[in-house]
Amino acid sequence: MTTGFGIIDLSWWQVTLALMLVVVVATVSLRQHLGLERDLLIGTVRTVVQLYLVGLVLAAVFTAARWYWVLSILVVMAAIATHAAVSRLAKPIPGLYWIAATALTISTAATITYVIGIVVQPRPWWEPQYLIPMAGMILGNSMTSAALAGDRLQSDLFARRDEVEARLALGFSGLEAVQPLVRAALRASMIPTVNGMMTVGVVQLPGMMTGQILAGASPLTAIRYQIVVVFMLAVATALGSLLFVRLAVARYLTPAHQLRRYLL
Amino acid sequence: MQDAIFQVQHLSLAYPARRGHPAATILDDISVDVERGSALTLVGPSGSGKSSLLRCLNRLEEPTGGVVRFDGRPITELDPRELRRRAALVQQTAVLFEGTVRTNLMVHAPGVTLDVSESRLREALAEVGLDAALLDRDAAMLSGGERQRVTIARALLRDPQALLLDEPTSALDPPNAMLVVETICRLRDTRGPTIVAVTHTPELVRRLGGALLYLVKGRVQAYESVHGDGIIDERLQAFLSGGHP
Repeated sequence: MTTGFGIIDLSWWQVTLALMLVVVVATVSLRQHLGLERDLLIGTVRTVVQLYLVGLVLAAVFTAARWYWVLSILVVMAAIATHAAVSRLAKPIPGLYWIAATALTISTAATITYVIGIVVQPRPWWEPQYLIPMAGMILGNSMTSAALAGDRLQSDLFARRDEVEARLALGFSGLEAVQPLVRAALRASMIPTVNGMMTVGVVQLPGMMTGQILAGASPLTAIRYQIVVVFMLAVATALGSLLFVRLAVARYLTPAHQLRRYLL
Repeated sequence: MQDAIFQVQHLSLAYPARRGHPAATILDDISVDVERGSALTLVGPSGSGKSSLLRCLNRLEEPTGGVVRFDGRPITELDPRELRRRAALVQQTAVLFEGTVRTNLMVHAPGVTLDVSESRLREALAEVGLDAALLDRDAAMLSGGERQRVTIARALLRDPQALLLDEPTSALDPPNAMLVVETICRLRDTRGPTIVAVTHTPELVRRLGGALLYLVKGRVQAYESVHGDGIIDERLQAFLSGGHP
């Protein structure tokens, strides 16, 4: 069956057929004694339930067409992304939720304002068709990069604590002493994005572009959007990890240029 | 004391309770003076707070009580970066950064003036008994003893008034440890800086002279001067000879 936009509207029966693919994964897990069957089952159920619920909510928001509903969705997405970024760190640090929330909110707000307000310019600006998927992609990538950077910073601060204190003992300020570690954390978080830019479209078609082509858009329109998305995600990744690392590293230092070893 | 460079008064240090860790008292009511140009050796079992006391002197640790004075002023009134240049720390494990010996000796904070002329670098290496030919050697290729002596040379380039040595020989094999002991004692004879050292090496304790502070569980158990007659306190004698008082 096709919709008015020329897209095949999948029935639940067809989705159930796709479930057979998961059965293949389960069979591999069983045969190879991977022990992944339980997680696979939970993952499959969550995929269906979460996406179905999200679909219902988005359908309601698209129908209601009110800016405050769109912003509410973004706030919920930011809160979930914050929690996910925080939970990936091995050790807690004081104020971690605020650090993650600030980094993700600022990086997402700055990026989306530029992309929506200056590049794409939908009318109205809060048009959910554009704002929600783009903000979702930005949040997801900021979250991943912030978590990667935070994880690397934390492990380096522990492993290289003597090196940091050697610099402090030589008269460096706290921020100067941790600068090589900050740099390493930022590189670790940004390298996947930069590497992704090298192979985008060559190894696999990106999700948004694939979605647009499936929805009937011209591939040439889809690539223009995808180019915008790649650049948008690059800056969101850089901003998210930079803000997160800068705010987090300050928690490990005192105004007297000391390393708070007990937090490591 | 007439001319104390360090005055430690009722110093205490405690860590707050955290998730999975109970609160811990590290130092409890420590008072001691270190005379300018003299030596103070801190001894005691592992976990007795020796290194923490040393780190309080250059404010790498923040005491929870009491006062530390340097040159008559509470260290909280000094810029910690300036304090650490004047009271240079040599760590237990020699930390050398990526690069050559030269780059390691030249390392300094942005905006700080440091004489790192060729002659000064050669002089600093000579002071610790190392050949100037090492200047362009990759720091990663040095032996343990050479590494530790390069860190001492790096500290000396700042012309510190005091050297804080945190078990400078404990990570070394006996021959290299002896080379470092020789270096420290020679510096003491030629430069005459104030030295505060944490060590388990009886040879270093004897040759540094000065005073000896014996800590157990963060408290002072004994304090005495090291004289030519040897150490009087039985607990200190037993500890330094490897026994447990």
